[in-house]
Amino acid sequence: MISDIESRLKSKFPDSLLNVVSKDKRITFSVKKEKFYSILSELKDIGFDHLSDVTAVDYIDEQEFELIYHLWSHREKIRAIVKVRIPREVPTVKSVVGLWTGAQMHEREDHELFGINFEGNPNLAELFLEDWEEIPPFRKDFDTRKYVKEKYYQEDEQYPIVKG
Amino acid sequence: MKKLTPKVIKSKSEARAWSVWVINYFTACGFMELLPWVGSGYDMERFGILPVPSPRHADVFIIAGYVTTKAAKRIKMIYDQMASPKYVLALGSCPMTGGMYWDSYATIKRVDEIIPVDLWIEGCPPKPENIGHGIVMAANAIKGGLKGH
Repeated sequence: MISDIESRLKSKFPDSLLNVVSKDKRITFSVKKEKFYSILSELKDIGFDHLSDVTAVDYIDEQEFELIYHLWSHREKIRAIVKVRIPREVPTVKSVVGLWTGAQMHEREDHELFGINFEGNPNLAELFLEDWEEIPPFRKDFDTRKYVKEKYYQEDEQYPIVKG
Repeated sequence: MKKLTPKVIKSKSEARAWSVWVINYFTACGFMELLPWVGSGYDMERFGILPVPSPRHADVFIIAGYVTTKAAKRIKMIYDQMASPKYVLALGSCPMTGGMYWDSYATIKRVDEIIPVDLWIEGCPPKPENIGHGIVMAANAIKGGLKGH
């Protein structure tokens, strides 16, 4: 079954698959940004009816974000993982809410913590953080220690600190 | 056989001390250590302590676990709804020092910057015995005339 999926995608998107790794009941695709939506759509047609997670990695040295979509097929009990790199300067990508409605909250979380824009997502309002004015906290160039020391501790205090 | 005589409650503060109704705000592991008190194991009802569903009925506000910046606003809202006299009990290291979240961007480090805290039971998390000690201390303090806010 895994090899069928692999060959079907390879024949349909010969230029867009950068790397395919399959092991046991899991298959991972690294794909180009231009065709990632069509590939996800194709995978949904194959039978991946559940989107488990949409997460992101900040590759600051390469100035790229990597978005990772975890898919699950209830019928075949197979996991598919789709990885797509997007430029860090313009982190905008098409939303997959049209394919899986459950993507809405995952994308909202990524929008808040990484600052990635999902075009077509109906609600990207703040989720966990309220009144946040800094850069998104999960980005690698956000200095957590510096922010915490400035916001929560007095200037002359050393940290870690336990006030008496 | 010894004759049992009913105990006479002499003052208003003593009556208050043995009829403490609590509203709980639990975000993390602190509640796991308070659970033996809620259940029949340690049974906090023998001290007259009763969990109530509304802050408007409560005398004591128990905050256990870390307080995120988002939760801090809700804590202030709950506290403002409570009727006087009201007491605040912080449970565990997190609400008063940040605990293991001392370097987290999303948790506040001292809850007493938002609302006044009367008693802090230290620990990460505190043991049920420590919590019981704290509860009895709090009851004695109320009996002795601790006014609250």
